[in-house]
Amino acid sequence: MASFLPCASGDFAEAPAAPVPEVGMAAPDFLLPAADGPIRLSDFRGQPVILVFSPPGWDPAEAAQLALFNDTAARLAPARARLLGVSLDGPWCSLDLENEGGLRFPLLRDFDPAGGVAHRFGVYGSRAVVVIDGDGVVQWKHVFPAGLPARPEVLAAVFADLAPPDPIGPSLTRRQFLITALVASLAAAAWPAPAPAETSAASPQGSAPPRPPQVLDLTLQVNGVDHALKVDSRVTLLDALREYIGLTGTKKGCDQGTCGACTVLADGRRIKSCLTLAAMAEGRRITTIEGLAREGKLHPVQAAFIDHDAFQCGYCTPGQIMAAVALIDEGHAGSDDEIREWMSGNLCRCGAYPNIVAAIRQAAGGKKA
Amino acid sequence: MTPFAYQRPARVDEAIAAGADRGARFVAGGTNLLDLMKIDVEEPAVLIDINRLPLAAIEATPAGVRIGALARMADVAAHPAIVDGYPAVSQALLASASPQLRNMASIGGNLMQRTRCTYFRDTAFPCNKRVPGSGCSAIPGDHRRHAVLGVSSACIAAHASDLAVALVALDASLRLRGPRGERSLPLDDFYRLPGDTPQVENALQPGEMIVAVDLPASSPARRSLYLKIRDRASFEFALVSAAVGLDLAGGAIREARVALGGVGAKPWRARAAEDRLRGQVPGPEVFAAAAGAALEGAQPHPDNAFKVELARRTLVRALGQATT
Repeated sequence: MASFLPCASGDFAEAPAAPVPEVGMAAPDFLLPAADGPIRLSDFRGQPVILVFSPPGWDPAEAAQLALFNDTAARLAPARARLLGVSLDGPWCSLDLENEGGLRFPLLRDFDPAGGVAHRFGVYGSRAVVVIDGDGVVQWKHVFPAGLPARPEVLAAVFADLAPPDPIGPSLTRRQFLITALVASLAAAAWPAPAPAETSAASPQGSAPPRPPQVLDLTLQVNGVDHALKVDSRVTLLDALREYIGLTGTKKGCDQGTCGACTVLADGRRIKSCLTLAAMAEGRRITTIEGLAREGKLHPVQAAFIDHDAFQCGYCTPGQIMAAVALIDEGHAGSDDEIREWMSGNLCRCGAYPNIVAAIRQAAGGKKA
Repeated sequence: MTPFAYQRPARVDEAIAAGADRGARFVAGGTNLLDLMKIDVEEPAVLIDINRLPLAAIEATPAGVRIGALARMADVAAHPAIVDGYPAVSQALLASASPQLRNMASIGGNLMQRTRCTYFRDTAFPCNKRVPGSGCSAIPGDHRRHAVLGVSSACIAAHASDLAVALVALDASLRLRGPRGERSLPLDDFYRLPGDTPQVENALQPGEMIVAVDLPASSPARRSLYLKIRDRASFEFALVSAAVGLDLAGGAIREARVALGGVGAKPWRARAAEDRLRGQVPGPEVFAAAAGAALEGAQPHPDNAFKVELARRTLVRALGQATT
């Protein structure tokens, strides 16, 4: 088996103009780049070849698509061969089928940026599937309409094209039919996903270019000091504090707004910095754990946490303290129950909760426990 | 996270013009959208930060309260007009999320949060809402927390907003502004049931934005409460919740408002239950009849069948609390 290399540029389709092949006609030959020199499509005679002209980012190996393959196979093929797995091996795609053994076909990825092959098949700029049988004859061809059709429409079109009353009819062998159905399913499955950033060989048009990251110039005011930053628009306030400004007191725990380790104050109100973009924090006064002490003197909540040994590993502590400072300011330290309820956004895996409650009670001016 | 272009308009009309682009999304608190963007479930091409828009006011009049879409959950929960005139709304907000998230999340964003489940969040699983037509993983899978009312064979995710349950019960409506002007829509009509298109969750048009929530003053609103039942005491979604509002006169129920949460594919207004309460003398049998009517047509699956009975009991308890 030849091993294929992705090719950055060049038109590997052969030049001579030929009629666009329809079903029943011989497929045009073209060159594929391979590690040991280009080989021809016709070198694959004896086995079916499936060409999928797809938007970038199409990946039949996605686990989420297996259910779709099997759904379609079950509806189309009485034998109900189940697809056990799909894997991508470079530009090759392997379908592992129960009862039918494995199928292997080349995915023409990343080698035809000029769209020469698509032109030869008359599908330039479209999403299309072409099945070529072992004799090099086009057995099935479907070009999908422009735009992003809903999946039911795509499947309906696929079924309309296939729909032989007897799948083992004179024109298609059962095996060919199964392949066709699977490929149709693959193609249909590829639809709704908006194209992620990846270049594609077969469909140079209709493919959104990869989205470039956006770099923003921001000024963040943290603990009374302005910091001018150049950051990707995706950077969170948490990452800006830790990775760009160097204030690593604020911790990253779950990074999804649950644990509270990243709690900081924005304009005096407690927020989770992991679910706030740095850009969204521009113009707000941010206070972190590093900004609590005054002239070498700990904030009363910090001192109370030490007094009460209100931590074990200490990882959640900066977030606990920032939340507690805000809680007291809000007036929610009226009772232990109230403190517990209003500290529910901060988790402590060491289970220092009783000591945390005691520390907050002390800092709020209650009796020292 | 997939790259996006960040914009921060200062005017509502600028934001709406930018929001009409396919692939654009508004962000306010970010507590739902950014979380979903981090796991590649949401991939907006343009993120429009609307936090600078002047939409955060809470205006109370004798006829009702208009809550600006950018008012934060914490501020609405603590507002005297809400605490006094619409206690169910304040209680629902305080039972939601955590103090930090309530400081961040906006009212409009809360109502726009995705109807979601763990399979929606996990791109390794099929999900009809995330990839239309790919199948529902929850029906044959883990669905203990899923919905039993308004579900379809395509999706059984429960709507997670506590606030929306209270607002739907108390006849709230939304003010929506879009490229073609402003319109008003009852919140109950805003949400869509999943049917065959679970990816469509509401009636919002491209470029349209929630600018305010209108909450009409009423007797049931003044005597309303929100009861939330959950696995943990705090910072947890509802297994089941009930918002009820009653107008009591002469020992009988003159008017009733009932909605359920945690059990519906959308915030579930239970008008059949209200019909059973209207004109009746409050008592356990009347409450039980109303609770039975509220859960009529429930479509439980094996692991969430307990929610049907739990919802009945929750509603009975809430009605009991509202009449004492």
